[in-house]
Amino acid sequence: MTEVLLLGRRAVREVVRYPEATIPTLFIPLFFLAVNIGQVSKTFPSSTPFLRGQGYVAFQLPVSLMFAVATATSGLALVTAIDLGYFDKLLVAPIRRSSIIFGRLAADLVRGIGGSALVLLFGIALGAHVESGVAGAVVIVLLAAMFGVAYAGFGILIALRTRNVQATQSSFLLFFPLLFLTPNFVPFDRLSPAMETLARINPVSYVIVGLRSLVIDGWNAGDIGIAIGVIVALGAALTGLSLHTIATYDR
Amino acid sequence: MPMRTEEQPTAIAAMCLRRTFKGGIEAVRDIDLAVSAGEVFGFLGPNGAGKTTTVRMLCTLLPPTSGSATVAGLDVVGDGAAVRRSIGVALQEIGLDPVQTGRELLELQCGLYGITGRSGRERAAELLELLGLTDAADRRTKTYSGGMKRRLDLASALVHSPQVLFLDEPTTGLDPASRLTVWDEVRRINASGTTVFLTTQYLEEADKLCDRVAIIDDGRIVAEGTPERLKAEMGHDVVSVSLNGADPDATQSALAGLPGLERVMPEPGALALYVADGANSIAEIVRRLDRDRIEVGAISVARPSLDDVFLNATGRRLEGQEQSQEAEQ
Ligand SMILES: Nc1ncnc2c1ncn2[C@@H]1O[C@H](COP(=O)(O)OP(=O)(O)O)[C@@H](O)[C@H]1O
Ligand SMILES: [Mg+2]
Repeated sequence: MTEVLLLGRRAVREVVRYPEATIPTLFIPLFFLAVNIGQVSKTFPSSTPFLRGQGYVAFQLPVSLMFAVATATSGLALVTAIDLGYFDKLLVAPIRRSSIIFGRLAADLVRGIGGSALVLLFGIALGAHVESGVAGAVVIVLLAAMFGVAYAGFGILIALRTRNVQATQSSFLLFFPLLFLTPNFVPFDRLSPAMETLARINPVSYVIVGLRSLVIDGWNAGDIGIAIGVIVALGAALTGLSLHTIATYDR
Repeated sequence: MPMRTEEQPTAIAAMCLRRTFKGGIEAVRDIDLAVSAGEVFGFLGPNGAGKTTTVRMLCTLLPPTSGSATVAGLDVVGDGAAVRRSIGVALQEIGLDPVQTGRELLELQCGLYGITGRSGRERAAELLELLGLTDAADRRTKTYSGGMKRRLDLASALVHSPQVLFLDEPTTGLDPASRLTVWDEVRRINASGTTVFLTTQYLEEADKLCDRVAIIDDGRIVAEGTPERLKAEMGHDVVSVSLNGADPDATQSALAGLPGLERVMPEPGALALYVADGANSIAEIVRRLDRDRIEVGAISVARPSLDDVFLNATGRRLEGQEQSQEAEQ
């Protein structure tokens, strides 16, 4: 446990000391939020049924939260450490290899909380109203951050399997199908049938729907429960694979 | 099964240790090693000989393809966790974390070895002082010079006062002053009881620093012993005849049948004659060259060096590798 805290602290240090790595990951969601709203707020006025009297910003906010937390930061940090030889230094230390992964994920959680809180505040500044209140806002931030932790497993897996910086960098490509084959612009029932099928298969859709329900509907146990289930399942699967990969690294 | 020798504890033992990489590259071919506790053991060989691969197997970073090894009496495969607690490792590629300062890096390293809180901070400060890094302690490691990085890496391998210390080419690419600092540090560490397994491409380093040396070439150990013994086993002197434009073949045939001549090795612009007694051969060498009217440059006699041991074992010289390696760094 101490090892995880020590390695987590180091990873947080990395985030703080290299703001140039974090700022773009936050700039993009803020930028998209502002631009999308500017473009479609006339198409979807507050009178649009699925907005329930709110501005389109409330509908888009969860998508921007996903943008802010779904990054390959941990994967890139790991592959850089592999490249520099620092990873070997960690492997040869008398620690459980899993601590290396959990240390990264701990930092992802901290960064995810900071990033999603910022995006949420920005959304509120643009006029979104969190129907579920302050407690709901906290749950939104925590769920988004947990999704970020779960998603980090993709980058970590690619880093450990390929040990290649370019391959890990290009893992952000995964992001596009995962975040855009969703009801990100309109609800499920407004998507074309093919899109709807894909979006319904995509687990990320349910995280967006869950977060969105907290913003627009208030406390909807069903939507929130499914979102939590998806985050936990995705996190368990990817973290499990990462742990297996590091345990068998060069073995 | 841990292997123990009763009379002298074995710090490192390897039995038929082999590593074949994907694509059939046989990096290490069935080597046997026995390093006693308290020794500085030198693993000498050119680039690509298999030194790093051996070190990585002994440090539990790489599983052997076959064979077995123990470090501090513990099996490197079956007892990896216990081995890792007993060893300190400074790998060839200096694994410094650029994100942290020297002090943070050492404190984290202490923490990973269970030395936390105040004892960790004190240990880090102590090591920084010992390796002359106190002034740079609070700068990020990416601003360090090559020599400082090596020293910090060495410090990070020492936080827990390991029983066995592995140093993979600790002085490659260092300037002569930094090299001497590292040598002093290795001697100091060894004096405190730590067994040191050190790889090097430098003959001088193996000669000056190591109690015993194994020469590895192309994955095989080709000679092993104390530097003195290896040199003495050569049983000859080396007379170097500088050709100064003289025809090498003619010179060689003029000297054929020289009493006590064991071997002639052509070198660029010179011939190296391995003779039983160098000083007493010179007169005869000069007489024979005069007879055949061959004019050569300087003639000198040297006691055999480790380089000659290497040459004798492999048919190649080790020198020259050093330059190309340094140029790469
Ligand atoms: N991961 C690897 N995959 C394939 N070949 C390797 C790998 N590591 C080392 N080798 C090869 O094994 C041989 C020995 O390498 P190495 O142990 O690094 O030598 P040294 O440390 O003595 O320079 C070289 O031919 C090298 O190219
Ligand atoms: Mg090497």
